[in-house]
Parts: sequence; structure tokens; C-alpha cells
Amino acid sequence: MVAQTIGRTGQRQSAVRRLFTSGRWIQWFVGLLLATFSLAMFYPFLWLIFSSFKTGADIVSVPVSLLPREWTLSAYRMVLDPNRANLPRAYVNSIVVATATVVAILATSSLGGYVFARLNFPGRRYLFYFILSTTMVPFLTLLIPLYIVMKYLRLLNSLFGLWVPALFSSFGIFLCRQFIYGIPRDLYEAAKVDGSGDFEIWRRIILPLTKPVLSVLAIFNFLGSFNSFLWPLVVLNDESKMTLPLILRRMADRFGGTDYQGVMAGSVLVAIPPLVVFLIFQRNFIKGIALTGMKA
Amino acid sequence: MTASTRTARALQVVSRKRGLRWRLRRYSLLGSVYGAAVTIFYTLFFLIPFGTAIWLSFQNWDFLTDPRFVGTRNFAKALRDDYFWSALKVTLTFSVVEISVGVSLALLLALMLDQMKGRWQNLFLSLYYLPVITPGVVSIYLWRWMYRPTGGAFNTVLASFGLPQQQFLNSNSQALWAITAFVIWANVGGAAVILLAGMNDVPQHLYEAARLDGAGFWRVFFRITMPLIRPVLAYQLVVSVIGTVQMFDVFFLMGGPGFSTRTLSLYTYQLGFQTLNLGYGAAVSLIIFLMLLVATVVQLQRYQVTWEY
Repeated sequence: MVAQTIGRTGQRQSAVRRLFTSGRWIQWFVGLLLATFSLAMFYPFLWLIFSSFKTGADIVSVPVSLLPREWTLSAYRMVLDPNRANLPRAYVNSIVVATATVVAILATSSLGGYVFARLNFPGRRYLFYFILSTTMVPFLTLLIPLYIVMKYLRLLNSLFGLWVPALFSSFGIFLCRQFIYGIPRDLYEAAKVDGSGDFEIWRRIILPLTKPVLSVLAIFNFLGSFNSFLWPLVVLNDESKMTLPLILRRMADRFGGTDYQGVMAGSVLVAIPPLVVFLIFQRNFIKGIALTGMKA
Repeated sequence: MTASTRTARALQVVSRKRGLRWRLRRYSLLGSVYGAAVTIFYTLFFLIPFGTAIWLSFQNWDFLTDPRFVGTRNFAKALRDDYFWSALKVTLTFSVVEISVGVSLALLLALMLDQMKGRWQNLFLSLYYLPVITPGVVSIYLWRWMYRPTGGAFNTVLASFGLPQQQFLNSNSQALWAITAFVIWANVGGAAVILLAGMNDVPQHLYEAARLDGAGFWRVFFRITMPLIRPVLAYQLVVSVIGTVQMFDVFFLMGGPGFSTRTLSLYTYQLGFQTLNLGYGAAVSLIIFLMLLVATVVQLQRYQVTWEY
């Protein structure tokens, strides 16, 4: 009896196993579940896109409908009007800050990785451990005193204030160092024999070889800078200096009451650059996350 | 590691013999310059602010008059401050619920995605990743709009199923859950991608061996997949704890009524930049730092101990 039951569950187990290992319909079932879930994940974006084409009367009408009753571009015209919102200016600001941050971090991380992995200078090891340990302190703890430091450096209310504190990235240095350890020494030992200096070796040999890591760092730091909210909120005051997330907040305060379609149109425009970056580098994203465990 | 330290030590002995000039020649100029630059940078933007935070936490300062030394009174104040405890409670509730639901969901998604073929896997993954890419401010205003009690998208959906209308962000009891649901939506794709990457790293031959031994799906999951993605899972948990405790923009822009959704991060911001109670704000932010430090160390240790078999 017992043996029979065992035999039967054994059989059933193997049937389940076969379903999971070789059955194709289970894949269809899982695919269906995933597709349903992606629909739920995407649903808010449908509201975002369709609402941005609505009229002011349409967006507050009850019962609300997903699709606009009357398609119009008036919301986009509203947010692009320089008298009502500083969106074009904020675009320039955001792109300037994000580009400066990315360029700085790529240079300092790649160089730092090389310096800490291969070069000898006083205090190298302690400095590296110190840099690593700084990642343990949350940004929130540094927020208030960093603001005071920026005040003394006269970097408040300027775009420099956004990217100068991000010139070096502890994580970037760490990542590049790990990667450069994996590059065989022979590759640049020859250049050294030829009499190339350290900087020359970095520029001609290390920099091209660290490209995979650098592209990941570039993508995530671009997004991080582009989407950041708290630090710009603390640093910037003038509307002419604000980055996109801050301007969007201004627009929400201004249009939020009766013209929410303006907020939606602004949101679409703010979300476009990161989404374009994502679509272009989609493959690098997944690979990059696998490589670094990083996310925006 | 030991070999390299041995060579380093041997070099040290040699250099000591050869004298100072030889040693200086072994130092790279580029390295020294970079080291100096890094030191200056981290002094300005890390050491000084961190030191200031500690110094400030023992002072009373409103940014206008001179700071006044108050000893440990700021920390004592936190213990008696009802606002602090309510903020701590909100933070912990949010963090625990977001992480347990979010990471479980991400694990489930990663497990299902693991069954899919490359092209489909990529398509779904990209869709789940969209909210991670979207600027936080954009999705916050979008969800705020959808959470509206009258005519909001969610209430419309509820109405179409004949369910009662909800207050969402306007209600003391629902606001925090509404925000938590939003954050799960915004973050689950990122966690799923990382966990999936961990699953892809599990050597295929282990699965084949298990299959030959006749192990079922769940057995394989609990005996092979779970133990082997443990480091990735631990990493994900640590990152999530740090991320959720520090999360700011959602609570700042989507906040519910009264103090129902005021977290420690928002409280710190308000103390520092709105009520100008800088000393107390610094003390609260240091308490957050200590909490996160303990949580991280405990988590990493726990997972390492169980992982080493």
C-alpha cells in the first residue's frame, strides 16, 4: 500500500517534471502570465500618453475615459510656451549636467581603476579602502552639511553645484579596478618597455580595454543624473537653472489644478530622453546589470 | 593574495636596502597626482560634510544665529520626540512591506522569465524595466493623477467591477499603502533583472545533473536555484534596504494627509531645510546612518554564513 502510494506519487512527480522540462504548453502558460503582468506594468503609461493629448475639459470629466474624446496638441503647446514653463531651458540644463557628470565619472573612474590596480604611490591601499568605505554613509546623512559646504564654495544655485560633487564615483573606481585586474599585464608591459609613460599607457591601452565597463557606467550615471531630484531641489533656486524634474514639479504646481494635461505633456517630454537612451542601449543594459549588479 | 603580499614585502625589504631615492622612483607620478586629487575631493565632499554632520548633531543651529553646543541633547530629544517615532514607524513599515512584496514578486518574475526564450525574455524584461528608467518625478505625478478619488484611473477600474470607491492618497490609513504599491511598481523590474542575471549564472550542468536524478521543479528551485542565487539575493536585499530607507521624492511629492506618510528621510529634509533645526536634523540623519550600517552588516553576515557550504 505504502509502496504503491510512493510509486504513484513518484509517477506523478515525473509527470510534473516532464511538464516543466519538456512541455511546450507550460512555456505558453508562463508567457501568458508574463504578458498579462506586462500589461499591468504598462497600463499607467497608457494614461500618461493619452492624457497628454486631452483638452482641459476632457481630462477632468467624470466618468473619465482612457482615450481622449478630442485629440489635441494644446497641452504640448502650453508647456513649450516659454512664458508659461521653462521646459526648453530645463532640457539644456539637464543635458549639460548629465553630460558633464558622465564625462567626469568616466575619466576619473577609468583612471582611478588603473591607478589603484597597477600603479604604486604612497598610501594607495588605505586610500582605496577609504574610498570603498565612503559608500557605507547614506547620502541623506551628508545632505545638510554638504549643502553648507556648497554654500562656502559658492556653488549653490549653479549647475556646477550639481556635478562637481559627483566628479569622482566610489563605485565607478571600484568597478574599473576590478575590471583592470582582469586585464593581463603583458598587454601593457610591452608598452612600458617601449618607454611609454603611465598616462600614455592608460590612454592608449587601458581606456579602450575598459570600454564595456565604461559604457555601463555611462548609461547608469546619465540616467542617475538626469532623473535625480533631491540634490537639485536643495541646490537650485532660480527657475532658469532648474533641471527637468524640478521644472516638472513647478509645472505641476502651476497647472496641477485645472490643466493636468499640461503636467502629462510635460511628463512625456521629460521621460523621452531616458527612454531613448534605454531603447538605444537596451542590450547593454541587461548585460551591464549582469556585469555590475547596478541599476538606475 | 598571499603571494602578492609576499612579493610586496620582498620589494619593501629591497627598497629599504636601496634607500629613499630608489623607493621614490618606484612611485608613479600619475598615481601620486591622482591620489592627491582623490584625497582633496573626498576631503571636501565627504570627510568635511561627514565631520560636520557629527559636529552639528551636538549643536543647536538655525543657520542665522551662532551654533550653540548642547551635548547629546539632540539624541535624547529624538528618543522623546513623537514625530521621530512616527517617522521611524512609517519608514520601517514601508521598507519591510516594499521589500518583502517587491523582492518576492521579482523572484517569481525572474523564475518565470528564466523559462522563456531569449527574444521573449528580452521583450518582457524591457517592459518591466520601463518604470525603472522613467524619471521618478514623472511616474509620481502620473500615479498621483491615477490615485485621484474622483475620476482617477484606479477608481474607474474599481467602479467597472462594481467595487466601492477609495480615497487612496487622501486617506490616513490608505496613503502609505498606495505609495508602497507605487514604489513596488517602480522598482520590481530592476530587482527582477538582477535576480535573473543571478539565475543565468547558475551552471547549467547542475540542472542537468538534478534532472538525471529525477528532481522535480520545486526541488530544483529550493535545492539548486535558491542556494546559488543567495549572494545576488543578499545583495538585492541590502540595496533595497538602503534604497527604501533613503527614498525621498515619493514622500515629498505624493505625501498623504498629516504625518501618515512622513518618513525619516522627509523628516530630515524638513528639519534641515524648512524648520531650520539643523542640529537635530543632523542627529536624525546620523541615527539613519547607524541603522543602515547595522542592517547591512547583519544581513551580509547572515547570508555569508549560510552560503558557505
